[in-house]
Amino acid sequence: MAIPISQMWTVSTYVLKNKLAGRKRFSLTLMLEPLFRCSLACAGCGKVQYPPHILKRELTPAECFAAVEECGAPMVAIPGGEPLLHPQMVEIVNGLIARRKYVYLCTNALELKHRLPEFKPSKYLTFSVHLDGQREHHDFGVCREGAYDIAIEGIKEAVRRGFRVTTNATFFDGVDPNSVRAFFDEVMAMGVEGIILSPGYSYDKAPDQHHFMGRARVRRLFRAILSNRKPTWKFNMSPLFLEFLMGFRNYECVPWGMPTYNIFGWQKPCYLLQDGFVGSYKELLETTEWEKYGVPSGNPKCANCMVSCGYETPAVIDGFTTWKGFLAMARGNFNKYPDPEALKQLSEAAAPAEQAEDCCCCHEETRA
Amino acid sequence: MTVEVQKYTMEQVEALEVAPGADHENLEGWVPTLASEEGLRDALEKAFDYRGDVTLTLKSGERIEAYIFNRHAAATLAESWVQYFVSGDAIKHRLSYALIARIEFTGKDRAAGKHWEDWVKHYNERKAAGETNIALAPEALE
Repeated sequence: MAIPISQMWTVSTYVLKNKLAGRKRFSLTLMLEPLFRCSLACAGCGKVQYPPHILKRELTPAECFAAVEECGAPMVAIPGGEPLLHPQMVEIVNGLIARRKYVYLCTNALELKHRLPEFKPSKYLTFSVHLDGQREHHDFGVCREGAYDIAIEGIKEAVRRGFRVTTNATFFDGVDPNSVRAFFDEVMAMGVEGIILSPGYSYDKAPDQHHFMGRARVRRLFRAILSNRKPTWKFNMSPLFLEFLMGFRNYECVPWGMPTYNIFGWQKPCYLLQDGFVGSYKELLETTEWEKYGVPSGNPKCANCMVSCGYETPAVIDGFTTWKGFLAMARGNFNKYPDPEALKQLSEAAAPAEQAEDCCCCHEETRA
Repeated sequence: MTVEVQKYTMEQVEALEVAPGADHENLEGWVPTLASEEGLRDALEKAFDYRGDVTLTLKSGERIEAYIFNRHAAATLAESWVQYFVSGDAIKHRLSYALIARIEFTGKDRAAGKHWEDWVKHYNERKAAGETNIALAPEALE
C-alpha cells in the first residue's frame, strides 16, 4: 500500500476513537465539490450537466472550511468539476492543510503544470490525477485528444517538485485488462505514489448509458487486472477494498463514510446519488433513510455499484478494527495474488478482434 | 429522483453482467397539467430531477425562472417545499408547493442530447477529414 504511515496512523486512530465512542455512523473522507464547472466533457460523467448559472457557482473558502470542520473526517477529497478552475483553490487547499486534513485534489491535470508553483508540497496534499488508462483509451474516454499527454506533463512536474501524486482511474465496460496493466506500469514508472481505481457508476445523467458493468463483470474484470501483480505496482487504497473488487470478500455500502458537500448543501445519500440536500452534516446523518439504499435495499440505483465512495469505508474499518481484517490488510500489502485463471483471462482478452465490437473506449474504427 | 420500488434480489444483483442505463425522459418544453395534488407532486419531483431551469408561476401571478435542486415532500402541500437557485442570485430560495400554480420546463435539458455515439461519429468525421486534437468542449457558460 502506498499510503504514508502518518496518514495511516491518523485514519486508524480516528476509526478506533469513533468505534470506542460507540458512534454508529462517521465519515472517513469528505467529498468536497466546490464547483461543477469542468474543462472536459467526458461521456461517462454525470456530474456536470447543469445550466450555466449553476456551473458558475462556487463554494467560498469559508463554506469549505465550515463543512470540513462540521464533518470531522481526517481526509478531504476535492473533486468537482475541475477544482483548479476555482479561483480560490489555493486558499482552500492551504486552509485544509492548516487544519491537518489529508487533501486529495482530484484534477484532470489540464492546468496542473502551470498551477503547481502556487502550491507547496506537503504530506497533507496529494494531486490525484484523473487518468482512465493508456493514451488512446484515456483520450477517447474523456473525449479529448491530447488530454493524456498534458496530464502526464503535469504529473511529471508535480513529482519533480516533490508533491504527492496518485492517478485516479475509472473503468467502464469493454476496457482491456492488459491495457490497464500496461497503464499501471507506465504511471508507476513516472514516480507516482500509488494508483486509485474504481469501476464506473451508472450515472443516470451521463451521456453514455450503455457501458455500465454489473457486479459479476466488475469482479471478473478486476480479478484479471489485479491478480498476478507486479512488484512495482502500489495502490493508494485499502487492500481489502481491492479484494472486494476482485470478488474475494463482500461488504455492504457505507454511504455516510464519504459524504458529499457542494453548492446545494449536504447531498443525500451519497456522492453518486442525488436524492436531496440538507443543511447540515448532523441532519444528513440523522434524517437520511439509509435503509433505502445499498444492495440489500433492492434499490435499482444501487444494484451495480461497487464504487469506492460506498465500499472503501467498510474495508478500512474492517482493516483497523478487527484482528482478522488487520491481518488480511497486512497480507494484502505484500500479496501478489497469483492466479492462473486470471492469467488465462488476460490471454483471452489479448486475442485480437473478439471484443472490439462493443468496446466503449477502443472503437478501432475510430483509430484509423 | 425518488427511491424506486424494489427491483432486484441479492442473487440477481450479484449475477448482473451489464447494468441497464437510464432512459432520459424528454421533458424540455413540457407544461404539466396540475389538475390534482398528485399531478403537482409528480411534476415537482420531475422538476427536481431535471437538469435545466423551469419557470414557476405562483398563485399570486409572480413568475420565477429557477433551477430546482431540492425538494421536501411532506404530508400536505403547505408543508412541502422546493429549493431553488435563480440566475445571478446566491440565495437558496424555498417555496411551498401550495403556492405554485403552474410549472413549465422552459430551460434546456443539460443532460439530454449528448450520447456516446455522437462523440464516436464526431471523432470519425474529424479524423476522416485529417484533423488532429479532436475534442468535445464543455458548453459555453453564455
